[in-house]
Amino acid sequence: MAHRVVIVGGGAAGIQTALELKSRGIEPIIVERDIELGGKARGWHKLFPLFTPAKDIIDPLIARLREERIRCFYGQEVTEIASDGVVLRSGERIPGDAVVVATGFTLFDAHRKQEYGYGLYDNVITSVDLERMMNSGRVVLTDGSEPRRIAFLHCVGSRDEKVDQKHCSKVCCITGVKQAIEIKQMFPDADVFNFYMDIRMYGPGYEELYRSAQQDYNIHFIRGRISEAAETINKRIQIKAEDTLTGRPLRMTVDMLVLLVGMSANYENKNLAQSAGIPLAPNGYFRTQDSFLGSVTCEREGIFFAGAATAPKSLADTLAEASLTASAVCNYIKVKYTK
Amino acid sequence: MTFFAPFTIPFIVGSIVMFAIIATKWITWIIQLPKVDRRLMRHNLLTRKTLYAIWEVIRESLLHVRIFRVNPLLGFMHMSLAFGWFLLIVVGWIETTVYLGWQMIPLQGHVFFKYFAPLNGIDTHIHLFDHLMDALLLFVLIGVALAWFKRFRARAMGMRRTTRHRLLDRVALTALWFIFPARLIAESITSAIYGNGGFLTGGIGGWLNNIIHHDILVALYEPSWWIYSSLLGAFFIALPFSRYMHIFTEIPLIFLRQWQLRPTSERKSYDNFEIAACSRCGICIDPCQLQSDLGINDTQSVYYLRDRRYNMLTLKVANNCLMCGRCEAVCPVGINLSTLRLNSRAKRRNIPHEGRYKYFAGIDRSNGSGKIGYFAGCMTTLTPSVQRSMEKIFEAVGDEVWYADKDGGVCCGRPLMLSGETDAARKMVVYNTDLFRRYEITTLITSCPICLRVFKESYRLDGIEVLHHSQYIDRLIADGRLMLDASSEVFTYHDPCELGRGLGIYDEPRNILTTLGSLREPWHNRDNALCCGSSLANTIIDDQQQRRIAERMTTELDATKCHTIVTACPLCNKAISRTAHHPTQDIAEVVARNIHQNC
Repeated sequence: MAHRVVIVGGGAAGIQTALELKSRGIEPIIVERDIELGGKARGWHKLFPLFTPAKDIIDPLIARLREERIRCFYGQEVTEIASDGVVLRSGERIPGDAVVVATGFTLFDAHRKQEYGYGLYDNVITSVDLERMMNSGRVVLTDGSEPRRIAFLHCVGSRDEKVDQKHCSKVCCITGVKQAIEIKQMFPDADVFNFYMDIRMYGPGYEELYRSAQQDYNIHFIRGRISEAAETINKRIQIKAEDTLTGRPLRMTVDMLVLLVGMSANYENKNLAQSAGIPLAPNGYFRTQDSFLGSVTCEREGIFFAGAATAPKSLADTLAEASLTASAVCNYIKVKYTK
Repeated sequence: MTFFAPFTIPFIVGSIVMFAIIATKWITWIIQLPKVDRRLMRHNLLTRKTLYAIWEVIRESLLHVRIFRVNPLLGFMHMSLAFGWFLLIVVGWIETTVYLGWQMIPLQGHVFFKYFAPLNGIDTHIHLFDHLMDALLLFVLIGVALAWFKRFRARAMGMRRTTRHRLLDRVALTALWFIFPARLIAESITSAIYGNGGFLTGGIGGWLNNIIHHDILVALYEPSWWIYSSLLGAFFIALPFSRYMHIFTEIPLIFLRQWQLRPTSERKSYDNFEIAACSRCGICIDPCQLQSDLGINDTQSVYYLRDRRYNMLTLKVANNCLMCGRCEAVCPVGINLSTLRLNSRAKRRNIPHEGRYKYFAGIDRSNGSGKIGYFAGCMTTLTPSVQRSMEKIFEAVGDEVWYADKDGGVCCGRPLMLSGETDAARKMVVYNTDLFRRYEITTLITSCPICLRVFKESYRLDGIEVLHHSQYIDRLIADGRLMLDASSEVFTYHDPCELGRGLGIYDEPRNILTTLGSLREPWHNRDNALCCGSSLANTIIDDQQQRRIAERMTTELDATKCHTIVTACPLCNKAISRTAHHPTQDIAEVVARNIHQNC
């Protein structure tokens, strides 16, 4: 009989791990909290750096999962994890020979930075809202008109002690560049400004895209965070910032302000970690054994990680890591059960 | 009688040195007082205020009524030492006068009366004074015993922590601890030899007589008086340099205070009286959240005053204070701790560059018109929903409002003042005052208690009524101008330091909340409320430390199991929402969402 592995989370990390395990003759079971698979990548419009439609990645993954007849539980929240299975909120226990934690991340709640007026001013949106708008094919202001001046603000809920998010969310810089270009492609006459602290272009093709944004698309990059935003009578957004390169304060009125929200650790991580007796990193993500050879394992044997449950990761990094997780699980089972 | 014996020399020298030093200090300090202060002294000297001062001296310097309120046992300890000793001196003086008639007797004659006139009681067969003096000695000894006990079991006396003292303080303290036991021994030995004394010294004397040979007692007689005198002398010499300087300094301080002298944001000679009046009792240590939440042990008011007195104050200590005022609220001497702390920051005053505030000239981003002015303040601008709510309220009651800083304004100046940059702050005060005057407003409303405090304390806004938005809303409700929908919502209210302890505004926010729903108080509330930790006054602790203070405080707010945590300061609001498990709102937001809709 095939060995069985419980995977907590049915996003990109969970699906890819399941597929890889299945191909190695192990029977994976996915427990998903949502009623659909695909996680955060579902609903995303295009992916950096090559503007690949997110659908082209996620849909085939889900289709393969169906072909392989991998079992999935939907709308079920896992409340306890152990090396030999998980417990659902209903109290039901799903046993397994190993457990993979692929619970991902939580989007930073932009309401927490009240000074930017998200939820308060009509034309302040997040990067996620913008992807949804682009998916629907219409990027407009609340009065239905087209934006002519758009500002992107980097690091909302990242590298910000005041909201207890000290870490870098890694993907927002390149997302900001990608979205700015997309906006410029839609509205070539629009003025687009990106307010940043640092631009971190760590991946292949990222730096090139950043350069292209400046040279080919004439997008303005201003080093300095926006300190506050206010709504004018005609529903435009007045922002105050400091251009730290020239050392001068600046005020600007834009039609739309896009907040590039960061990645936070899931609130539930605390309880899950406690149930398994494993530690969390200070920022609330799961702590791996080390960053080199133990990047998908933890102190407790039989519990593995995949994807953004341990740190902010791009979709590409997540998919790559999921294969690594599957191979680590496979080795673990082989060693344990072939004695 | 000559009233001289060699053993009295330490005492005589000690008292002369002590009185000389104290007199020098006081005279210097008074001479250095600014003219305004000296005018106040002259003006108030022959008024009822002097009588109040005398009464306060009796209550506080002798009876220590305020310490009784902190803890009765602690109050009794201070009272028995101070009042007991005072009575010993007074009754001792009466005793000598009764026995020897009205004549000039040197000081040591009163103090060592038992030595110089051991047979008085027997001569006259009146034991009244012996018993009375023994009773007083016992009274003081109980105080000493409690002081010893407090060193080891401070908690039993209502104090979790006591002060760590300097060497000279320890010398004085040790001398003080042993003065009265030494007196007991010296008088008991005297009683043993002469067969006199009251119930205490006589009793012990009789017992000593039974167990110790007479010759040995005689041999111990002189040395025991030497020890007593030397301890007194040592204590007196240490006194002006140690914390015990407070014994004498509190008296002129009470008079000066009754004559309306106050410390200001500039250092002045009056500060010396306040600083030296600190007894370093350490009552200010427990309420300090830097101590209880962060374990910082060198910055509390007692240490701050000590460091300042001995000229070893560092900027770190001066700046490491939330200025929440919790220590000031319990200080038994009533020292103006925050003002003193503030004026020692002013030392590093930075005179702003000429051109730095030039941009003030000609800028005016205010809009709207009306006799009511609304100044949101920087922190309210960062919590825009508070400003929105205020606009909604103004609209609901139909008040015409002039917005001073809706599109950005000039800071009220308090943050700079708190960090000691009074000159730069002054520029902002001038700018804003001018702006308010130009638009001829009669009422000024602000949503920020920090701005409110500086408007009230450092601006000269005669003719303009300055209100916190909670006061304004409370008034609207009382006048029947603002109709609100009551519900079963349960609120918990957090008192902001600047609004509560700073300006005494406790009731208005509570009135509003009880109109809207029901109110549950956290454990620490009103003048005992905890600080949120985000105070602008502290430039030393870091964000994580601020967060830890907030966390402890919000635990109490969460514990009330309310629906909504309410506060009235945008800064507190930010600090609380970071850590609380309940939704947190400003009082204006709560009001705005409960305005009765007429349809």
